[in-house]
Amino acid sequence: MRSIITDLSLVVMASVAVSSFFLNRASLAGSFRKRIAGTPQVFTPAHPTVLDSAREFLGWRDNAVQPLAFTHKRHVENQITCTACHEGVQQSAIAGIPNIKVCMRCHALFAKDRPEIKKLTAIFNSGLDLPWQRVYGFSPSAHVKFNHAPHIHAGVDCSTCHGDVTVMTVAVRAVNLNMGFCLRCHRAKQVSTDCITCHF
Amino acid sequence: MERRDFLKATVLTGATAALSGCEKPAQKLVRFIPEEDLVPGVATWKPSVCTLCSAGCGLMVRILPGEAEVVRGGKLGTIQMGLAKKLEGNPNHPVNQGRLCARGQAGLQITYHPDRVNGPLRRSGPRGSGNFLATTWEEALSEVVSKLGEIRSKNRPRSLRVLSGRLRGQHGELVRKFLKAFGAPPAMVFDPLDEPVLRQANLLSFGQASIPSFDLARTNYLICFGADFLGTWNSPVAQSAGYGEMRQGRPGSRGGFVQVEQRMSQTGGNADEWIAARPGTEGVLALGMAHVMLKEQLRPHVQDNATRLIAGWSEGLPDYAPSPVEEKTGIPGKRIERLAREITAHVPAVAMIGGLPLAHTNGLFSALAVNALNTLLGSVGTPGGMFFAPRPPMQESEDLTEDGNFVRDLLGAKLDGTDVLLLHNSNPVFATPAAWKVRNSLAQIPFIVSFGSFVDETSELADLILPDHSPLESWLDDVPESGTNRAVVSLAPPAMQPLHNTLAMPDALLTIAHQLGGDLGKALPWESFQDMLQDSMAPLRTAGGMHPPPSPEAFWTQVQEQGGWWGDEPKQFGRLASPHGRAAVKFTEPQFDGEESSFPLHFQPYVSQAFLDGSLAHLPWMQELPDSLSTIMWGTGVEINPKTAQRLGIEQDDLVEVRSQHGSLMAPALLSPGIAFDVVAMAMGQGHDNFSRYASGRGANPVTILAPVQVAETGSLAWAATRVRVSKVGKARPALFSGGLFERPSELQSR
Repeated sequence: MRSIITDLSLVVMASVAVSSFFLNRASLAGSFRKRIAGTPQVFTPAHPTVLDSAREFLGWRDNAVQPLAFTHKRHVENQITCTACHEGVQQSAIAGIPNIKVCMRCHALFAKDRPEIKKLTAIFNSGLDLPWQRVYGFSPSAHVKFNHAPHIHAGVDCSTCHGDVTVMTVAVRAVNLNMGFCLRCHRAKQVSTDCITCHF
Repeated sequence: MERRDFLKATVLTGATAALSGCEKPAQKLVRFIPEEDLVPGVATWKPSVCTLCSAGCGLMVRILPGEAEVVRGGKLGTIQMGLAKKLEGNPNHPVNQGRLCARGQAGLQITYHPDRVNGPLRRSGPRGSGNFLATTWEEALSEVVSKLGEIRSKNRPRSLRVLSGRLRGQHGELVRKFLKAFGAPPAMVFDPLDEPVLRQANLLSFGQASIPSFDLARTNYLICFGADFLGTWNSPVAQSAGYGEMRQGRPGSRGGFVQVEQRMSQTGGNADEWIAARPGTEGVLALGMAHVMLKEQLRPHVQDNATRLIAGWSEGLPDYAPSPVEEKTGIPGKRIERLAREITAHVPAVAMIGGLPLAHTNGLFSALAVNALNTLLGSVGTPGGMFFAPRPPMQESEDLTEDGNFVRDLLGAKLDGTDVLLLHNSNPVFATPAAWKVRNSLAQIPFIVSFGSFVDETSELADLILPDHSPLESWLDDVPESGTNRAVVSLAPPAMQPLHNTLAMPDALLTIAHQLGGDLGKALPWESFQDMLQDSMAPLRTAGGMHPPPSPEAFWTQVQEQGGWWGDEPKQFGRLASPHGRAAVKFTEPQFDGEESSFPLHFQPYVSQAFLDGSLAHLPWMQELPDSLSTIMWGTGVEINPKTAQRLGIEQDDLVEVRSQHGSLMAPALLSPGIAFDVVAMAMGQGHDNFSRYASGRGANPVTILAPVQVAETGSLAWAATRVRVSKVGKARPALFSGGLFERPSELQSR
């Protein structure tokens, strides 16, 4: 009996997810949060639509759209280390997405004639910051907390989780950071795999 | 050096930090966490001051680098900066000792409110239409300067008026100095939560026109007349801490607590015994107990200034024997005798009065009666009793006259000759009875400047809006009047940089003063408000609190780091000055507006736990804070006793009309057993016409229908002196309650 209920609920869940997936593709081009006309105003406190909750449950996310065609490759070629811009990574849970002042430390002087740098300078002069979109990160329902600093101190290379940015222009999600991925590494290095290590 | 090396060097040393100096000049004056010290994901805690009520608690602000949505040059976008993320109590602050109430926590939302005025505005439509267009600070300030220059050159300096909320600390001092140097009358203060009647009573009884503090932690028995001291009255966080100590902090001794009120407040819900005396007879009840104490010689027969004010005291209060008191208050004489014996058996005991009992026409008598009761109990200035917090030994400009009173000037037609009105932190159009026609009186003033961060019912009349920084973005100072036995000055630098194109109100005043020049420039020599604060704090360096006194520079740094200055813990409570002489008073029946036959119910608006007088209704966290007794949220209801409701044919969620002689309002009925049969009550704070997307058009404002009855001695509004009738008009949209199916109004559910 119990398995029938489980199966039934899975079927319902899947059909909801599938139908809302197509609904989504048909009517929405981008934003994670946009509402679809005709759906109820509140589905749960966390999700405005059924679709959003299904997407989060299945881990579907849109690719990040960045305000500038920032190239990691070019910067790495100039031997700028990751920590030069992602300044928090050695001290903090969060590596940090650099703000525009970090960009302008160099670009006030260098490569000023490039079209993307001209855009950058114009945004800086307007007093605003770059609306970078997050590439990695976990959904809130995963209840997982990741802390960068201990991983860096343990000698884990940035590329282990973030892919080889030396070949990327705009950063893309090159590695699927699911629990299996974390556990493989934790087991290989014989570090704690207690639930509470990450889920607290 | 190759380009690559240079790049590396720059990145490593941050040598181009000069770039970060491209900010508005005003931002250079203030101390923030240096940008290079901000680490993503690592929090810093900075002190600040809570400005939302008169308690003046100290805050700690959690600062984290983050993104905020702002408008720059007409374009919406994001900026990354150190942002305030959470407010907590400052553990070192003597008033709140690390605690903070729900309102204080929600103060964070002022800074990030989507409807904040984010730059100077000029009125574009007819007055009161709420249409404004953006302008620049240069234009806006020069317009104010030219208007003020005009009235000065016409030699009419008295036509400049300031209408303000609480004026404390150096904010107040600056306004007073400005007005005095300009030659204008003192600022008109309008603060609906001030207790002018209690101040007057304390001046008469104890020679000090202040709000008292209470040593609840050492009290054995508390009898409280009407004050919601755990929720909204006086210094609720400090009082809650003391109350917790009194009830549960002393093993083997749980203090007794009796609350006298007609509508059960959060405080009343905590009491051992809840007594609903007839409205306006609280003073009689207090003296009834005093009569028993004197007659049965439970306490020594004290004769001093506070008791001399009560007629018949020396004869043992013959008019207040249990049976006449029973007749007046509706409380059985036996119960009064028992209470009197219980209290005297448990000294130190203290009596407290505040809120509704003082809002009757005979409020002063009630306050004097409670003062006399405290004197009889021997609890004035003693441990476990009441006392007055010491004042910090700052240089107060004694030659400045006292602040004016808005209501007095309004009703005395003293607003008529006003050419320019500066409006700061006050919303009298909302918080006064419609019968006073404040809106009409203000609308006749030719030029109104508001320093408000939000457009509300009063500032929508303004010709210019010069938006102030939010509290977290400003230099703050406050001098708490009560809540501690130490002298305290709360002071804090800005916790974060301004998000929007705003200017701190004191700095705007200083700029205006300097541009006007002359005496005004000389009276206010400071370049910025920060300098004025630093000067004002100088005398406190050697006044205790820090041993040995640090150097002036170290003192100023330390004050900013700890969130203010506080003196040493005194060995005993301060002595009281000798009071003013006055003839003894007798009980007079409270006067109510409206005949009992056609308006059978007493109408009691009470101070809302979430919104206070309504000034916090724009904060969505406060809107969704359930009232701690009814659990209603996002709205108001008319609280009515189920038996009265049954008699009137009213059920829960019926839409009822509350009608006084001066107007009517409609709201859903909330049946509540914790209210006297002849009383209906309503929380203040809702019913805004124009106060951000969250408060506008929500609920009803009980103050509008109040009768314009004043307390004779102080001229303040007797807001419990209105009678009403209540009738059912239909079915209301169901009110929202905590734990219900929906906890958010439908129009906001998608957000």
